Amino acid sequence: MLNYSLRRLAFAIPTIFALVIFAFYLMRLAPGGPFTSEKPLPPAVMANVLERYGMDEPLYVQLFTYIKNILCCFDFGPSFSQKDRSVNQIIASGFPVTLTYGFWSAVFVLICGIPLGVIAALRHNSFWDYLMTGLAIFSQIFPNFVLAPIMVLLFTLSWGLLPGGGWNGGQWQYIVMPAIGLGTSYMAGVARLTRGSMLEVLNSPFIRTARAKGLPERTIIWRHALKPALLPTLTYMGPVFVYMITGSVFIDVFFSTGGIGQDFIDGAYSRDYSVLLGLAIIYCVLTLSINLVLDLLYAWIDPKVRDAL
Amino acid sequence: MTLLSVRDLNIRFTTGDGDVHAVNNVSFDLSAGQKVALVGESGSGKSQIALSIMGLLAKNAIVSGQVMFNGNNLLAASNDELNQIRAQKIAMIFQDPMSALNPYMKVGRQLSEIVELHEGLSRRDARIRAIEVMEAVQIPDAKRRLDAYPHEFSGGMRQRIVIAMALICRPQIILADEPTTALDVTVQAQIMHLLDDIQRDMDTAVLLITHDLGVVAGFCEDVMVLYGGRMMEKSKVGALFKSPSHPYTRGLLRAVPNIHDQTGQLHAIPGSPPNQMNAPTACPFAPRCNDVIDTCWQTLPELTGEDTQRACIQPVEALS
Amino acid sequence: MTSAKTHLNSKEFAEQAAEEMITSRSFWADARVRFFKNRMAVVSVFMLLCLVLFAIFGHNFAKWSYEEIDWSILGKIKTEGAPSIANGHYFGLDELGRDMFARVVQGSRTSLLVGFVAGITSVIIGSIIGAMAGYYGGRFDQIVMGMYTIWLAVPYIIFFVVWQAFFGRSLAQLIMVIILVNWTAGLLIVRGQVMMMKNREFVDAARMLGLNDFAIIFRHIAPNVLWVVVIYSSMVVPEVIMMESLVSFLGVGIQEPNTSWGALISEGASTMTFGTLWQLAYPAAFFVIAQVSLYYIGDGLRDALDPKDRR
Repeated sequence: MLNYSLRRLAFAIPTIFALVIFAFYLMRLAPGGPFTSEKPLPPAVMANVLERYGMDEPLYVQLFTYIKNILCCFDFGPSFSQKDRSVNQIIASGFPVTLTYGFWSAVFVLICGIPLGVIAALRHNSFWDYLMTGLAIFSQIFPNFVLAPIMVLLFTLSWGLLPGGGWNGGQWQYIVMPAIGLGTSYMAGVARLTRGSMLEVLNSPFIRTARAKGLPERTIIWRHALKPALLPTLTYMGPVFVYMITGSVFIDVFFSTGGIGQDFIDGAYSRDYSVLLGLAIIYCVLTLSINLVLDLLYAWIDPKVRDAL
Repeated sequence: MTLLSVRDLNIRFTTGDGDVHAVNNVSFDLSAGQKVALVGESGSGKSQIALSIMGLLAKNAIVSGQVMFNGNNLLAASNDELNQIRAQKIAMIFQDPMSALNPYMKVGRQLSEIVELHEGLSRRDARIRAIEVMEAVQIPDAKRRLDAYPHEFSGGMRQRIVIAMALICRPQIILADEPTTALDVTVQAQIMHLLDDIQRDMDTAVLLITHDLGVVAGFCEDVMVLYGGRMMEKSKVGALFKSPSHPYTRGLLRAVPNIHDQTGQLHAIPGSPPNQMNAPTACPFAPRCNDVIDTCWQTLPELTGEDTQRACIQPVEALS
Repeated sequence: MTSAKTHLNSKEFAEQAAEEMITSRSFWADARVRFFKNRMAVVSVFMLLCLVLFAIFGHNFAKWSYEEIDWSILGKIKTEGAPSIANGHYFGLDELGRDMFARVVQGSRTSLLVGFVAGITSVIIGSIIGAMAGYYGGRFDQIVMGMYTIWLAVPYIIFFVVWQAFFGRSLAQLIMVIILVNWTAGLLIVRGQVMMMKNREFVDAARMLGLNDFAIIFRHIAPNVLWVVVIYSSMVVPEVIMMESLVSFLGVGIQEPNTSWGALISEGASTMTFGTLWQLAYPAAFFVIAQVSLYYIGDGLRDALDPKDRR
């Protein structure tokens, strides 16, 4: 198990390096930069600016310095467009916001999606089953950028129940709509997946064995069926957790939460490559670590996989 | 003493293409300590009979008839009532030990949960019982292997665990559905030996479901032959092997490869199993029978006779 | 057997046998029958066809072009910009006084074009790479899987931003970035299928007969994973439409005055506080209809093709 984790880490580190190098060159080579504006700066000023950001040196030296700064002091350098802020500061202000509603969104996905899927499977072809199918279709056709305006229309403009945007230090009223808007389609995905795997497990021979033991239905489901039925959901949740963070670009922009996605889009508009690069690295590290954690969790649950490691 | 009596059992499955008549008018009795074989090729409905006794048929099944056990009709019993009988009174051994065990649960727990539930034992006592029963089915080093998962066992060992599961409550009846089909021949013999010993020790009635006549000959006293969901012949094992009285049984016996047969030919029964989409109106075996006569196509033969019962309109002497 | 023996040396025989063994000729015919039995799927195909026709020929019915500003109503959009047959603005006007009907036609054209072209191309590219990775394994497979991991880890908006910085913004560029972002679609599943398939007997037989890798992949393995690709495409097309809509919503997708469903929904959402709901409703309705149809078509294809569900 430990061996496996180390092997995975040994794979993840070169992956991150490859990403950093690739993204770094790509962004530095892209035509136009944060300092090209419609009225070109006088050459002397330009040289000054470039020197200040260390951009007068050859690219590989810049890359080396960049990586060195990240490794030694976790420093992603200054922002190119926001004069007084460093990338670290930008991330530090936006990330907690995104993580907060991303977390609640994940909670919403799991505590609604899994029970809904299980109930739909147990009461096959019942009201709950149809509700779930309806929800799955609904979430496919109403992605968050359609759902969010509708929610604002209803909850803010019509009924005045919830604020239509902002963060306000993360009070719960400000978290509800971002979390639901972010999570609905994944919630339906989880429900659909759980239903499918639950149905499959309930038809499997070992559940028949459990029935032949005379176990009550409740025990059969909780003790025998739930664990194998949830394994595919677990695999699905890896990318979902990542999307909860990356997909939040839209939510951040629409609800003006001040989360990291807003910085991302701002960075994209102003070609603030240091912010983009910093965020990309953070995303990548997060993705890889979430996947690692989930794989280990999977192995911990599934004895067959555990032995294979 | 008759423990279990099955009367006029009919099982149909509704499918998108119509009803499949899997089992038709099957009746038999099982007495304490009796070892009865239920023989037939795949699709003949033999497993469905066992499942209907346990109340474990698929949801699209329609059952009629009676399965009387201790004065109750199991077919009419509720799930809660059946749960009082399952494993405690009637237990089942499933065919494929690879899939019959929960791969995510330690085998010890899969055994102990049964006695915890039915006998109200504490976790610790249930574990002790699990060790005992694992030792009874001759799993070496039972105490340590209690905490192993099914995939850590070989096929034969897993089948022993499945058998242990059936035995742990000392049931009156064991329904063994092809207990050795998935196993190697040598392991098959061991498992059947084990089953035989245990059956004698506990005086359990066993309904052995199999398509392997070799297993039947070594283990059972009575044998019932099923074809197309209908009972073809019911007799003592000795009589059946010595003088099979139904054309189908004769075909079956001829199909068993014989080491003394010098011709080296394999005898298969020509044709394929019947289509059971319609309720049978004639002898289902008629299309494949060597001795078929015109009346066979019009009449549905009933099971008749004293010691040996057979469902064939022709007298034994007339058969080839 | 004897006839087989005499033919055993010919490559054609091996190929024929292989094809007949797995993709029996009736497979696609069966699938078609199953698909057309699915009423929702058939209705959805019809709906989607209507949308496509609307996107192609809709501008013939528009009284205004999608760029033109109706100066007579501009400034009074809240009161007079609502849908009306009389002034020729069937779907009303947008915030800048442009005809919504023409813009919805234009948006449908963009979204459908991007969805189908980029979606299907992505799946095909991903499938080919996946097939090669699964077939060759080893180093090549490792590199592909490494790329795959990186790709999933990078937020895709970055690709849009950087690509457009290099190559500018246009419909063709948009399609290309979407392909670049989505080439991983279908990769894993085809890779898995091929890995499973390459150890089958008929592939061994073809190899023993000296067929080269190319012939084995394309003639023997490809027909047997085609159904996976078809199912996957039907899932990726709506996803791509959604991705295009999202990036257009965020402002890094299609460029004004061209538009798409996402861009229109974005504009409509930003003005709904003023009560001009038609600006949101029409594009959203078209988007929803397309997504519903694609959902049921995908569902129908899956039911028709997936051997797991077959009785």
